[in-house]
Amino acid sequence: MKLKRLTTFAAAIVCLVDLSSCGTTSFTPPPVTAELARAGAHQHVDLAALREGRTLFVSRCIECHTLPAVSQHSATEWPRLIDEMAGRANLKSTERDAVLAYILVAHSQSH
Amino acid sequence: MKKLRLVCILILAFSTSVSFGGVRHFTFLYEAPTSARGSLELENWITWQRITGPSRSDEVDFRHELEYGVTDKFQISVYLADWFYESNQDHAGFAYSDSAIELIYNLTNPVVDPIGLSIYDEIKAGDRLVELESKLIAQKNFGPLILAYNATLEAVWEGRELEEREGEFSQAVGASYEISPRISAGIELLHEFVFPEWRDEEKIRNLFVGPNLSYRHRNWFVTVTALAQATDTDDEPDLQVRTIFGIGL
Repeated sequence: MKLKRLTTFAAAIVCLVDLSSCGTTSFTPPPVTAELARAGAHQHVDLAALREGRTLFVSRCIECHTLPAVSQHSATEWPRLIDEMAGRANLKSTERDAVLAYILVAHSQSH
Repeated sequence: MKKLRLVCILILAFSTSVSFGGVRHFTFLYEAPTSARGSLELENWITWQRITGPSRSDEVDFRHELEYGVTDKFQISVYLADWFYESNQDHAGFAYSDSAIELIYNLTNPVVDPIGLSIYDEIKAGDRLVELESKLIAQKNFGPLILAYNATLEAVWEGRELEEREGEFSQAVGASYEISPRISAGIELLHEFVFPEWRDEEKIRNLFVGPNLSYRHRNWFVTVTALAQATDTDDEPDLQVRTIFGIGL
């Protein structure tokens, strides 16, 4: 009986992984490639800021919640969201700017 | 009293410049990400355990923990006090148990790396008790799903002259799914191998499994897990419920 319960538990985990793996790629924030850097340059965001923004996005935000896809919110929604979260994530103003800059550049390339 | 004053001074000193340390999605497992540099958080743990049958008893354990992010990859925690209330056929009452220091170092990230890893060490000392605990924490995030695994090795010395020794190896796995930005739900499984006097003659194996639920808002969170024993070990709890309430300072 207990073995049956354990098997059910293991099966549930496998199902969850299967279900979520469909979206794995889209949920991983895009890396800072040459293409993203070019898009950043058009928006006056330098490479260092993009890299710092991504590093902070993938490390600070997951301390409280899973990462949303950059396309999940509009370019006008992101600044308000980042402002709300910046205090909780202990981001300094330059770090907050870098995270927002990375998200907006990645967002512009996600369509 | 002096200890309390020192704690208050430390909290006030830090609270001018720090914020939230992070949310726990599990209560019997640790997660790989560490607190942000400079963040400070107070966590209060309450664990209720019930042993049924002829030797029925209840125990409620309390823990008050301060967690501080030294760097983005290294956090330090102090268990200010672990204490408990115990009620069985012989007696009932409160008692102080121990205090501890916990260190966690993050190696890799669970989103961008193939697997997120952290290492954990804890030194605990109390009334006729010394305990060392090391942990390997693994985690992978798949979109809204968090999968975590902990392997723990524990060495305990107890008794008047710390003459009683015990070892324990445990593994825990958990899954937590983010239903909404504020709510996550999942499941936790804990498998223990206990070695009294560092021997495996008694073949003590304990398995616990159950659901968890986590809610977060602004700078606080609360996470609850209920575990039922899936083995038949007499002196281990048949049911245990753990709640962790954390607040950023």
